[in-house]
Amino acid sequence: MNVQRRKILRGLGAGAALAAGPYLGAPALAQNRPLKIGIIAPKAGIAGTIGECGLRGTLFAVDRINAGGGIAGRKIELVVEEETNPKDSIERLRKLVLQDKVDCVQGIVSSGVSLAMGAVAEEMKALTIFWDGTTQDGVNETMPNPRYVFRSTDNECEAVMASLLAIKHWKGKFATVAGINPDYSYGRNNFAAFQALLKKFGVEHKVVADQWPKVGTLDLTSHVAALKAAKPDLVFSSLLFADLPVFMKTAYGAGLMDGKTKFVFPAAGFQHTLLKKEFTPEGMIFGHNTLYFDIENPTPLQKAFVQEYEAKYKDYPHWEADRAYFAMQIYKAGVEAAYKAKNAWPAQDDVISAMEGLKIESLGGPGSMRKDHIAEQTFYQGLTTHKNRFDFATISDVTRMYSDQLQKPQGTDFWKWIETANIKL
Amino acid sequence: MTSFFDVLIGGVFHASVLFLVAAGLQLVFGVQRIVNLACGSFYALGAYFGISAVGWATAGGLPTWTFLPVLIVSGLVLGVVGLPIERLLRTVYKRDEAFQLLLTFALVLMFQDVLRFFWGANPKQLGNLSMSYGKVALGDVSLPTYNVLVMLASVAIAVSLGWFLQRTRHGRILRATAENREMAAALGADVRRIYASVFTLGTVLGTVGGALVVPTAAASLDMPVELVVEAFAVVVIGGLGSMRGALVGALVVGLTRAAAISFYAELEVLAIYLIVIVVLVARPAGLFGKPVE
Repeated sequence: MNVQRRKILRGLGAGAALAAGPYLGAPALAQNRPLKIGIIAPKAGIAGTIGECGLRGTLFAVDRINAGGGIAGRKIELVVEEETNPKDSIERLRKLVLQDKVDCVQGIVSSGVSLAMGAVAEEMKALTIFWDGTTQDGVNETMPNPRYVFRSTDNECEAVMASLLAIKHWKGKFATVAGINPDYSYGRNNFAAFQALLKKFGVEHKVVADQWPKVGTLDLTSHVAALKAAKPDLVFSSLLFADLPVFMKTAYGAGLMDGKTKFVFPAAGFQHTLLKKEFTPEGMIFGHNTLYFDIENPTPLQKAFVQEYEAKYKDYPHWEADRAYFAMQIYKAGVEAAYKAKNAWPAQDDVISAMEGLKIESLGGPGSMRKDHIAEQTFYQGLTTHKNRFDFATISDVTRMYSDQLQKPQGTDFWKWIETANIKL
Repeated sequence: MTSFFDVLIGGVFHASVLFLVAAGLQLVFGVQRIVNLACGSFYALGAYFGISAVGWATAGGLPTWTFLPVLIVSGLVLGVVGLPIERLLRTVYKRDEAFQLLLTFALVLMFQDVLRFFWGANPKQLGNLSMSYGKVALGDVSLPTYNVLVMLASVAIAVSLGWFLQRTRHGRILRATAENREMAAALGADVRRIYASVFTLGTVLGTVGGALVVPTAAASLDMPVELVVEAFAVVVIGGLGSMRGALVGALVVGLTRAAAISFYAELEVLAIYLIVIVVLVARPAGLFGKPVE
């Protein structure tokens, strides 16, 4: 029995050695221990399902990376912490860096947390890659030249894209608009971006109602009544948490969707499986951000991921899985590029430099990391349809845009960029 | 006119939800003189358990239309949790109000973990079930039939409670106990049993309320605290311990909120608490409360 076990272990060892072939020149010490990656993601509250989906994207990436021999020959070991408020989440960052001695920190959904955490990560010189958080105060970048922090695309990308689609599909078909958006900078900036783009493209309009429910408000009856009373031609809503399905049900029940009112939901993808056909009409603009799970002709990577996700979790993934996968893969690509250049295990600074400008294939399509440490990714939006095998609405007429057409370039003011950029419909 | 009715209905619906939470709070305070912060937790418990009960019923092959009775029964059954909690509260009946508040606040936090343990940390919803009863349309005003049923249920509960407290023998004993516990006991009222039944009834109001409302909204871990904060505005306006006050206070808060959201959404909270401050200054006992002597 022992001889048999030794044979198997030898076989496994040989397999691992083959997989790690290109990295055998790395220092023995570095190769002997796994790469520790700290993950900070929400597990509870309104962002709980989002964190869960992101973590599943991370696990998918780690399983594949480890099965392929790890990053530059080193397997990944995850240390997962919970994202809550900025103060506690920063304490967990400190714990991951100082106590667990992780090689890289990834995660964070809330911009409120990432905005506060970014500065601390810089101070601690901790390589940190945010899934979905920005380091913007409103739409203004607070860390124009970060060294250790890499962040996701601007939050306004989905609003810019949804606005462009609304103008493309419905220009001339609406004159009055209403908004129902979450009452924090994300919701306010998105609605303001929508109006700025209407102005840019010469769409005459009047805002007849703007509702700002607090995040987590789950009785939206009065908000819907106010919207209905304003009789808008178009409703723009960047609701994205558990309040979105509640809004959809309430609006449908109140008859807000009976008429010719058009709807734009830039961030509907976060709740896609809860937006049932019975109360989600066809023809609304839905944003799926950087991963649309049911796209025609998916890449083999996306197909494998969605199939595994459905089989494992009896669910369908949204974009947070893609953000998490992107973070892991861009780190892997950075380490391996730095390793190749140095022909030795790279220092953190080498990895950071290597990550700048790198391009990778993420679950939702191509992505890259700008020199100013802001991600570029592929975005998906379309019009809701009931023609599918699910009990919820999906999208047809899918538009795909790379974020270099949706987010401000390095060092630019967002509002000036909207005014002056050569944005195409 | 249509807009007015839409806003009015939105306000009345929110008032119905608030009344279901505030009624339990009022009943318990009126008789037992305990400010039960955990009333919001009972509401949340009813909502979560209602989702599970409907899930079991659906899995058991019950037709969709039965989900309303299933929710009501689940809320009633869950009312039994009131008994052990009342037993715990007996230890602080004669203690300072601060102890009572701390104990019931501890219950709120403990219930939050209980909910997390059994149902997880993510908000839960009942999909499209509330749509299965169709919609009611009156001209341009349209609303889900289920929402009408929730409003009617609140009215029915308010009327039944009023009848129970005013017209039945047990109700009279309850009121007598609320007026003077020692005298009621001296006259043969079993105060312990009365307290247990009142607290259980208060719990049932919360659990049934939560179960009834969840198809139109969602159950989340934050709902107990959010609801209690609004319920306090209701009881301050209506008067602590007054059932009529709960009804009027809920209507004032619900309609004020709906009007504020329609006319100037930023003033939603400010408008409500402005009324609270005015009531506290001009009539500290609330519209229907009795001044403390």
